[in-house]
Amino acid sequence: MFQFFTLMLKNLRRNILRTSLTALCSMLLVLVVTGVWSVLDFIDRQTEEKANDFKVLVTEKNKAPSRLPRAYVSSLREGAARGPDDVKPEDYMTWAFYGGTLDPNKMTRENFLFLIACEPEKAPTMMDELDQLNAADTARLQDAIAKMKKQANAVIIGPEQLKLMNKKVGERFTVNGLIFKDLNLEFEIVDTFPDAAQRYGQTSLMNLDYLLQGIDEYEAKTKKKIANGADPIAFVMLKVKNKEDYEKLSAQIVNSPLYNSPAVRCESAGSAVSTFLESWQTIFWGMRWLLAPAILGTLSLVIAVAISISVRERRKEIAVMKVLGFTPGHVLTMVLGEALLIGLISGLLSAGGTYLLVNKVLGGIPFPIAWFQRFFIPTNALWWGVAIGAGTSVLGSFLPAWNARGVRVADVFSKVA
Amino acid sequence: MAADEEIVRVRNVHKYFTRGSERVDVLQDLSLNVPEGEFLALMGPSGSGKTTLLNLIAGLDVPSEGEIWVGNDRISAMSESQLATWRTRNVGFIFQFYHLLPVLTAYENVELPLLLLPLSSADRKQRVMTALELVELSSRLHHRPGQLSGGQQQRVGIARAIVTDPTLIVADEPTGDLDSRSADEILKLLATLQHELQKTIIMVTHDPKAAERASRTLHLEKGRLVVDTRAPQLK
Ligand SMILES: Nc1ncnc2c1ncn2[C@@H]1O[C@H](COP(=O)(O)OP(=O)(O)OP(=O)(O)O)[C@@H](O)[C@H]1O
Ligand SMILES: [Mg+2]
Repeated sequence: MFQFFTLMLKNLRRNILRTSLTALCSMLLVLVVTGVWSVLDFIDRQTEEKANDFKVLVTEKNKAPSRLPRAYVSSLREGAARGPDDVKPEDYMTWAFYGGTLDPNKMTRENFLFLIACEPEKAPTMMDELDQLNAADTARLQDAIAKMKKQANAVIIGPEQLKLMNKKVGERFTVNGLIFKDLNLEFEIVDTFPDAAQRYGQTSLMNLDYLLQGIDEYEAKTKKKIANGADPIAFVMLKVKNKEDYEKLSAQIVNSPLYNSPAVRCESAGSAVSTFLESWQTIFWGMRWLLAPAILGTLSLVIAVAISISVRERRKEIAVMKVLGFTPGHVLTMVLGEALLIGLISGLLSAGGTYLLVNKVLGGIPFPIAWFQRFFIPTNALWWGVAIGAGTSVLGSFLPAWNARGVRVADVFSKVA
Repeated sequence: MAADEEIVRVRNVHKYFTRGSERVDVLQDLSLNVPEGEFLALMGPSGSGKTTLLNLIAGLDVPSEGEIWVGNDRISAMSESQLATWRTRNVGFIFQFYHLLPVLTAYENVELPLLLLPLSSADRKQRVMTALELVELSSRLHHRPGQLSGGQQQRVGIARAIVTDPTLIVADEPTGDLDSRSADEILKLLATLQHELQKTIIMVTHDPKAAERASRTLHLEKGRLVVDTRAPQLK
C-alpha cells in the first residue's frame, strides 16, 4: 500500500538527524563486512584455483638468476621420464627472458622493453588467468598466437606497456639487446592482451625460437659468442595432475643423470599455497567467524537502539493508530518496514559505493601478499550489502517492533500508566 | 423502547485492573443502553471509571465480566485484531488532546483511517474533503498539526472520527483542553453531527455546560451509574 509506505518515509524523515546517523553507521558497518567478505571470497577463489594447479618450475639449482642450457629443454618437457612407470607432465612451457631498449641513445623506462620468450601456443593453458577468459577474448588470443606461429618476429604486448611505448598494434620496432647484450631483434606487434587479463597489462610475449635463432645467427655472422647464448633458458614449467605426481616428478628430475652441470631443482606453486595458508589460517578464521559476526551484531544493535528510541517516542501515536483501526500486524509491519528501509538503502549505497570506488575509480586495490594480484570487490558484494542491511535491520528492529505491536491502547491513555 | 433500536447494549459489565497483587474494581455490574441517534454525556468525578467505560464501548479494551454489544456485534468476545478491524468501520474516536500524527498534514490525518478500507483514491479524496468541509477546515488541508490552533486541531480530529462514517462516535473530554469559545464551537459541531447526520455520540465530560448539549446525561460514581438525566427534548 503506497500510502502506508509514504507514512513510513515520513516517520523516518521526522528525525532526520537520527535517521541519517543510523544510516551512516549502517553504511560504515556494511562497508566493513562487505570488505571482509570480499577479501575472504577473493582468497577462497584464488586458493581453490591454485590448490589443484600443480605447476612445477624447473630452475637451476644453485644460481639466481637461473640459466639452463638449451640441451635440457627437450628432456625436461618430458619430465625426464624414461621408463613406462615414470610420470609424464600433462603440459609444459619453456621460459627465457629477452629485453633491451628501443632507443640506445635514450635509455629511459619508457624505452625499455622486457619480453617473455616462450612457445606462444602454451600461453592459454600454462599462464594463470588466460584460461579463464570469455569466448571472445579466447578467440582473439588464439588468433594472435596463430599469427605468432606464422611470423617469427610477431609479439603480443600488454595494453599498459603498449601505451608506455606509445605504439600501436601493427607497428614494427627494434630492440637493442641488454639482456643478451648486442643482440638486436626486430619485432612486429600483432596484438595486445585482452583487458580482462588484468595482470598482463605490462607483459610481452615473443617466440622462443626467434630468440634462439637470433642468437645463432648473430654468433655465425660475427664469429663472436653472446654472453649466456648457450644457456639462455630461465626455467621450464611443467603441469601435473596432483600432489603425488608432483612429488614423483620432482624426484625423477632431481635424480636424473641428465642434469648434472648445472644441477636443477623443482618448485611448485601448489606448495607455496599451502605454506601460505597455514600461516594465515588463524587470521582468516578469525575474520570469518569472529570479526564479521561481531560487526553484524553491532549493526543489529545500532538499529535496535535507534528503532527502540523512535518507538518509545511514538507510543502515543502508535496507540492512536490502533484506535483508528490499525491492527497489531499493521504496527509491526510499519516499524519493521521503517528499519528495513534504512537497512536496504544504506546497504545498497554502501556496497554499491564501494564497488564503484574500488573497481571503477581505483581499478582494484593492490594486494601485495603471496601470489595475489589486484583485489576487486565481487559483483556478489552488491547483494551481500543489501542482504546484510536488510537482515540486520529486521533482526535488530524485531524486538522494538514487537513491543510496538503490543502497545495497549487503554494503558497508554489511562492516567495511571 | 424496543431492544433492536438500542445501538449500544452494555450488560452486567465488571471491569477490574490488577496492580501487582491488588485488584482494583473500576466498573461494577454496570448495564447501559444507548439508542441509535442519541447524544449521551457521561459525567462523574475523576477516577469514577468514565474513560474505562468509554474504552470498553469503543472496543479499545474488553470487560472482565459481562457483555457489550454494538449493533449486531458482540465486541466483548472479540480478539485484539478483530476489534481493530471492527473499530475501523464502527467507531470514530475523539481525544481530549486531539492526537493527530505530527508528521501528517490535516488532509493526511483525516485520510489515515480510510487507508484501512478498500477505497479508490478518488473515493478517499471525496470523503476527506467532505469531512473537512463539514468541520470548516477546507482552507487548511496542507497544514500540519503544529501549524493549527487547538480548536482547529480538534476539528481535524472530529473530521478524522467521522470520515469512515462510523456507527458510533465516542469523545473523551473533547473540550477539556480548549478555551470556552473553541469548546463551544466543538460542541455545536457535535450537536450538528447528531441532528443532521443522525450520529450516535457518547461523550465524557466534566463540564456541565457541555453536558447540556447532550440529549441525556449519565452520572458515574465509583464504577456505578447513579443518575440518569433524560433531557426533555428527546422524544
Ligand atoms: N490500564 C489501567 N490499569 C490500571 N488501572 C487503571 C487503568 N485504567 C484506569 N485505571 C484505574 O481505574 C480507575 C478509573 O479510571 P478512569 O480513567 O476510567 O477514570 P475517569 O473517570 O476517566 O477519570 P478522569 O475524569 O480523571 O479522566 C482509576 O482509579 C484508574 O487508576
Ligand atoms: Mg478519563
